[in-house]
Amino acid sequence: MEVIITTFPWGVVLILVPLFGALSCFMWPNVARYLALSTAFALVMSVIALAVRLITTGSYRHEIGGWGAPLGIELFADGLSLLMLAATAVVGFAVTVYSIGYFPNRQLLRFLPIWFLLLAALNALFLSGDIFNLYVALELTGLAAVALTAMSGGRAALIAAMRYLFATLVGSMSYLLGVVLIYHSFGSLDFMILAERVEASPATWSALGLMSIGLALKTALFPLHFWLPPAHASAPAPVSAALSGLVVKASFYILLRLWLEVFPAGHSLIPGEFLGALGVCAIFWGGLQALRATRLKLLIAYSTVMQVGYFFLVFPLATVVAWHGVLFLLLSHALAKAAMFLAAGNIIYFAGHDRIVDFDRIAQQLPMTLAAFALAGVCIMGLPPGGGFIAKWLMVQASLESGQWWWAAALILGSLVAAAYVFKVVGHSFTQTTVREKTNVVPVLMEWTALALALASVLLGLVASWPLAWMEIGGVFAGVPAR
Amino acid sequence: MTTETLYALVGVGLFILGLYALFVRANLLRKILAANVMSSGVFLVLVALARRTGTVAPDPVPHAMVITGIVVAVSVTAFALILMLRIAMKTGQTELPDTWSE
Amino acid sequence: MDTLNLAQWVFDSLTGTGLLWLAWMALASPQLIRAIVIFVAFGLLMALTWVRLDAVDIALAEVAIGAGLTGALLLAALAKLTAAQTEISKSDHRPRDGRAVRALRQLPAVLMFLVAAGLVYSVLSLPPVSSGLSVEVDANLGTSGVENPVTAVLLNFRGYDTLLEIFVLLLALLGVWSLGGLPPQRVAPAGPVLHTLAVVLTPVLILLAAYFLWAGVKGPGGAFQAGATLGAAGVLLQLAGWRPGPGFARVHWRLILVAGPALFILVALFTIVAGRHLLEYAPEHAGTLILLLESGATLSIGLTLAGLFFGERPDDGYDNDN
Repeated sequence: MEVIITTFPWGVVLILVPLFGALSCFMWPNVARYLALSTAFALVMSVIALAVRLITTGSYRHEIGGWGAPLGIELFADGLSLLMLAATAVVGFAVTVYSIGYFPNRQLLRFLPIWFLLLAALNALFLSGDIFNLYVALELTGLAAVALTAMSGGRAALIAAMRYLFATLVGSMSYLLGVVLIYHSFGSLDFMILAERVEASPATWSALGLMSIGLALKTALFPLHFWLPPAHASAPAPVSAALSGLVVKASFYILLRLWLEVFPAGHSLIPGEFLGALGVCAIFWGGLQALRATRLKLLIAYSTVMQVGYFFLVFPLATVVAWHGVLFLLLSHALAKAAMFLAAGNIIYFAGHDRIVDFDRIAQQLPMTLAAFALAGVCIMGLPPGGGFIAKWLMVQASLESGQWWWAAALILGSLVAAAYVFKVVGHSFTQTTVREKTNVVPVLMEWTALALALASVLLGLVASWPLAWMEIGGVFAGVPAR
Repeated sequence: MTTETLYALVGVGLFILGLYALFVRANLLRKILAANVMSSGVFLVLVALARRTGTVAPDPVPHAMVITGIVVAVSVTAFALILMLRIAMKTGQTELPDTWSE
Repeated sequence: MDTLNLAQWVFDSLTGTGLLWLAWMALASPQLIRAIVIFVAFGLLMALTWVRLDAVDIALAEVAIGAGLTGALLLAALAKLTAAQTEISKSDHRPRDGRAVRALRQLPAVLMFLVAAGLVYSVLSLPPVSSGLSVEVDANLGTSGVENPVTAVLLNFRGYDTLLEIFVLLLALLGVWSLGGLPPQRVAPAGPVLHTLAVVLTPVLILLAAYFLWAGVKGPGGAFQAGATLGAAGVLLQLAGWRPGPGFARVHWRLILVAGPALFILVALFTIVAGRHLLEYAPEHAGTLILLLESGATLSIGLTLAGLFFGERPDDGYDNDN
């Protein structure tokens, strides 16, 4: 039994299971919800098995087709991929459970096959060790995300989806042109081989520039964030949870891999300080717009713009502590932001709208939902013991250690802004309004799902040593200065 | 200048043309055309440079990449066109509004 | 690497200029219908370029998909737009802009110029000779199960990419279906010419698809070209007035759509359970497996493309409120 767990290619299972889930949900609509739950559960189990394997035997590569790089494609699983896969499995499971309560039957049957294709694409992306294969996974991710955004068919959703589609297309084309230049310069598509061969040249700089800009566009880094707020605000709530929680991190993950592994010397053309400065702009612009937002989902969407800004602070810092902090932030933000959107979904399901000032005693009527929102808020603000606290603590530490106190200042000020918009929502949830709507009873499972994710995001701070240890599997930070 | 460089430069030109049109054209159908021109440009760079093998036969890996790329492009185009039609049905327009609201 | 003689130089310059000119015309022409026709011409010139670059496989795919099917999709979309009598914006330039805004509008052009300059410099600085992966492909072609190196890359060396691509196609169709139905249109009954054309051409296209599938083992052709040809047959049938009936949509259509992706998944599972790497075929079975995968993929690609042209979910009884 133990031998099977430590030698079986679980990464492959993580890709095949959701693909099979998508096909079966499409073929057998009558039992689709059971198929969906089993698929989501199987994903969680496979990630656990993969974690056991990685913790006991370290990182591993899987040569697809038995060819091996450079001719074939290799899958690559290390601590970094494990964290992203785990976040995908947990958020994926929660969203699957939630969607069964949230969507009416017809919508659910449209949602499930596309949803599992999205999960398969994300898993494929987090496991890929090949820059062209990453392009394919990116396209699959982007198209699935856009299709899910447009699903509700409303005016705002359709327009937002169209914008999102163009943004994601430009992003992947730009990335692909970078891949082309890399391939024709160094004759390989494999990360590990490229890491040995890449050297500075005009083509390398252009490729890094094209790939970085394309991926920053897909990650919605300020000022390339224009497509994100409408898309995340007008998609159905479970979709928004996946978009903010997982999809924006997928392109950021590729950027991390490129900077960490392929272009260690290529930092010169786009200085890390420039990306960091854009990050600071994103923090304040996103925070300000979140404060001004009158709708809950739009507020949460702008909060994502803000959090993406934090991610990019890692580039000027670039020490092991900073990388730890950012990866921890990716993980805790995935859980907290998904919880927030699911809580918002509960409120919309209950009241039929998400206008913040018209919230009518949500605290009394949906106590679990409000608790979920507030707990997730604790994590987003960076208060202890939430996961966000550990993440920001590490990042502040990294900036002070490297003598760049201004990044720390941005981090702390950003947390104050985040606190302000979280309290704005919580405050309105206790008041009574004159507006009376017909309300719907929210299924208990939906409330529990949001709360469970929020609790997980807070508890993450208490068990922080585990993910911090897992990140090191495979030694991805070997080339990074300690401070 | 060699054949491969010439066509690679034409590919760069197509990429830029498409990108520019995608920025400045408002009509959605034209934006979709622009995205297609852009991807044709990337494919052209990829395949033109694949002839630099020094032998008669070009490198087949980029060819395979482009064939799959063309299929992806047509599926995305089909989806984008239907999305455009839905927007036209809802708003009566084939342009995206500058601001957005419910 | 060949130094150009004069005739080639003239041909290449004309083709290159033509590509850029057609692309510009397609993107700048004030009338949409004109833009689309020019775009199809652009696709045909691209196909010619692929032949010039020794990429006959791509040329086949480009003619069938890039020019043919995309053109049909664009024209159909424009027809539906016109039928819905939406206000098609005639001009892409908006009036009443101040001087500052007009200056700002030049910004993209300046940016593009800078990006172009950087890219041109990068391309010119690339090493003049690079074998890429052609040596590795040649060395392993013998055990790949096919003789056409492009098919070997698509279905064996990088078969995993193709697995994901097949799902991109399916995803596009699912996405189109999730957008809901389009407004009912008055479809003019197909004239006798179109009807005869459909009756004559459909079997020819199906035979051609089978030929491409078979030929792809040794020379240009393969599942994508064959699938595109099948898709073209589907488009032609729809133009002649054929619509998928509920029975066909409910059973056959869905089965064929899933056939290609499902075969891929099954083969993938089989290789894993047998203790091999994902999609690792034994050399003696590789040829058979590849042909099997390609046959499934051809059917699914063909029907998916035809479905994308149809534009909405056929009435299969699975997309209603209950």
